[in-house]
Amino acid sequence: MASSSGAGTMSSSSGLTFKLHPLVIVNISDHYTRLMAQAAATGSAGIPPPLRVFGCVIGVQAGRNVEIFNSFELKHDAATDSLDRPFLETKQEQYKKVFPKYDVLGWYSIGADIRESDMVIHKALMDINESPVYLLLNPAINPARKELPLSIYESELHVIDGVPSLIFVKASYTIETVEAERISVDHVAHIKPSDGSSAATQLAAHLTGMHSAIKMLHSRIKVLHHLLAAIQKGDAPPEHALLRQVSSLVRRLPAIDSPKFQDDFLMEYNDTLLMTYLATITKCSNTMNEFVEKFTTAYDKQSRRGGRTVFV
Amino acid sequence: MEQLVTQVQGLSGSADDLGQLLVLLRQNDDAMRSQGARLQPALHALDPAKHSLGFLFILDGRWSAGPSREEAENFLMSVTNFITVCSPEQIRYCPDKFNSLCRKLREHAMNMHRPIRAVLPLQVAIRKFQPSSEYLTPIHADFLLVCLLSKCYKAAAPILEDQIFEIDPKKTGLVPKDYLLYCYYGGMVQIGLKNFLRAMELLQHAFTAPAHVMNAIAVEAYKKYVLVCLIHNGQVPPFPKYTPSIVQRNLKGCCQGYIELVTVYNNRNITDLQRCLTSHEEAFRNDKNLGLAKQVVASLYKRNIQRLTQTYLTLSLQDIAQTVQLESAKDAELHVLQMIQDGEIFATINQKDGMVRFQEDSEQYKTREMSQRLHSEIQKVIRLAKKLTAVDEQVSCDQAFLSKVGRERTRYDSDDFELVPQKAFSNF
Repeated sequence: MASSSGAGTMSSSSGLTFKLHPLVIVNISDHYTRLMAQAAATGSAGIPPPLRVFGCVIGVQAGRNVEIFNSFELKHDAATDSLDRPFLETKQEQYKKVFPKYDVLGWYSIGADIRESDMVIHKALMDINESPVYLLLNPAINPARKELPLSIYESELHVIDGVPSLIFVKASYTIETVEAERISVDHVAHIKPSDGSSAATQLAAHLTGMHSAIKMLHSRIKVLHHLLAAIQKGDAPPEHALLRQVSSLVRRLPAIDSPKFQDDFLMEYNDTLLMTYLATITKCSNTMNEFVEKFTTAYDKQSRRGGRTVFV
Repeated sequence: MEQLVTQVQGLSGSADDLGQLLVLLRQNDDAMRSQGARLQPALHALDPAKHSLGFLFILDGRWSAGPSREEAENFLMSVTNFITVCSPEQIRYCPDKFNSLCRKLREHAMNMHRPIRAVLPLQVAIRKFQPSSEYLTPIHADFLLVCLLSKCYKAAAPILEDQIFEIDPKKTGLVPKDYLLYCYYGGMVQIGLKNFLRAMELLQHAFTAPAHVMNAIAVEAYKKYVLVCLIHNGQVPPFPKYTPSIVQRNLKGCCQGYIELVTVYNNRNITDLQRCLTSHEEAFRNDKNLGLAKQVVASLYKRNIQRLTQTYLTLSLQDIAQTVQLESAKDAELHVLQMIQDGEIFATINQKDGMVRFQEDSEQYKTREMSQRLHSEIQKVIRLAKKLTAVDEQVSCDQAFLSKVGRERTRYDSDDFELVPQKAFSNF
């Protein structure tokens, strides 16, 4: 019995390619976080019990491509350990009206590993979609792991011990996004609601992001530069396609080039530099002030007692 | 004597040998002093470049009696030669001997009334003696003095450009008087170079140096400081926070005439200022500040013309002459022309109808040179800030500071009593 519900050690052989949109990931994590926060707030003292949330994923299946666009939450009945069917159907109809193209492709849940009860729910969904997918998000934060803690499972009919049974097998997926989605998800992901609302921390977060972006740009340009220098010296064979791409990249900037633009640009640039200069001078004067205070308290014999100095 | 010479030749190799040699030489120091002129052949036997340490000691012993008039030339030649070729690492082993040698050089150059001869050797000596350009040495004070006496201000300029961050008496044999003299003479050299801003900074350092008693150098520096402030800014700022309290209390009492000059200057009346100047002329002459005081009067004209730019947009030359109490429109034109050339005001003179039109600062801040300049300024300030934080941390860990702060803390918060570590690690 253990093997039939064990986690898919085999990888999927159905040949379907899965594409996942980041919106789904944000939705699932938001659902989970929200419920955890509510459970903690409504007063269960100590560690709140590990919750499992459930929901449905929808998207488009075109031939061999399965693209998962969106997701919504479902009500789960803990007693019977099944999903609320009428609710699911109402939601499905509503979504169909807005997105006629999207079908129910599967369902999601939270956990580190697959459980036995998951197969039951999976089978229940099979009447909507003959081969649903199961998304599993692992909420444990592990800073060592570089990849997303999300796994996609398919169900396959395998013959085990002479008995044909359904088991979950893991499938690989890629993340796919459109520009608008990327911008909005990026924006949502960067908002820290609890403590980052002051202007200073937001500015610091913004500048750190910009700093890392510029650093990455700089390192990539350095690599290209190195490569071009090597080609010029003759160490590396010249690749015309690459050179064409580099040339087009270089021609993209500067976007405008006229004397008036130069003047305005330099004026703004110098203004920013003056602000930075002022900031460094202020910081320096502050340190100097503190230093002088410390020095006078340490070394001046008739220094302030109770904060009064003798004036001439 | 010969054995000493051979030892010097033998031991002038590596660092440990030099340490040994130093001990040896110090033991024989008195003996060498008594020998005097008989050490001359020993000097010929040694090579100043390779055996600098030994050469230094023997040279000092040779001339310890002080050269007489005839030998002064020889003395100067030999010391100049030594300084030019000596090796920096070796002379740093014995700072006080080197300092006394340079001082003798300076004294004798002055006695011979040819201070200019000491300028170049002392400059070379400073560069060789400093472990890095941020260190202050006693030779700085001597060097600046000879530059002043010989009026070679330009020669002193590169030395004054260095930013001094390190004061280390162990390495350089510095005493506070040298520091004060450096500030005072440096200020005077800057006045000679007409860098009034830098002169103000240096003179201010002289009288704000930590002190427990009043100091003649500080008083003189303050007098010059007042005059330079008037020339450059038109007003004298109050004492900065870090002026030692004893200086704050007593300084004004020592320079009455100058304070009076400041109050009269603020009234902006040329004739009053002239009167005040003549009444205190004796005092100024004794302090050798009469030239500076006359420059103060000249600067009042400039100050008044500058004030006119804030009121008027265009003005005729005749009116300028009248308001500023100049003789004629011609004088006014000359003054204004000079100020435009110096960059003190922005104006155009229309010679046809004798009108002057005042303008705004025409710097638009939209050139590449400006952004490069701003970049370098920002870098300078960042470097300075780093040094400041380092020094700040040093003082925070200092014994004296912690004991004073700890005492105050225990007095006021007895509830949350935090144990201030009494034995903080001290860096001295």
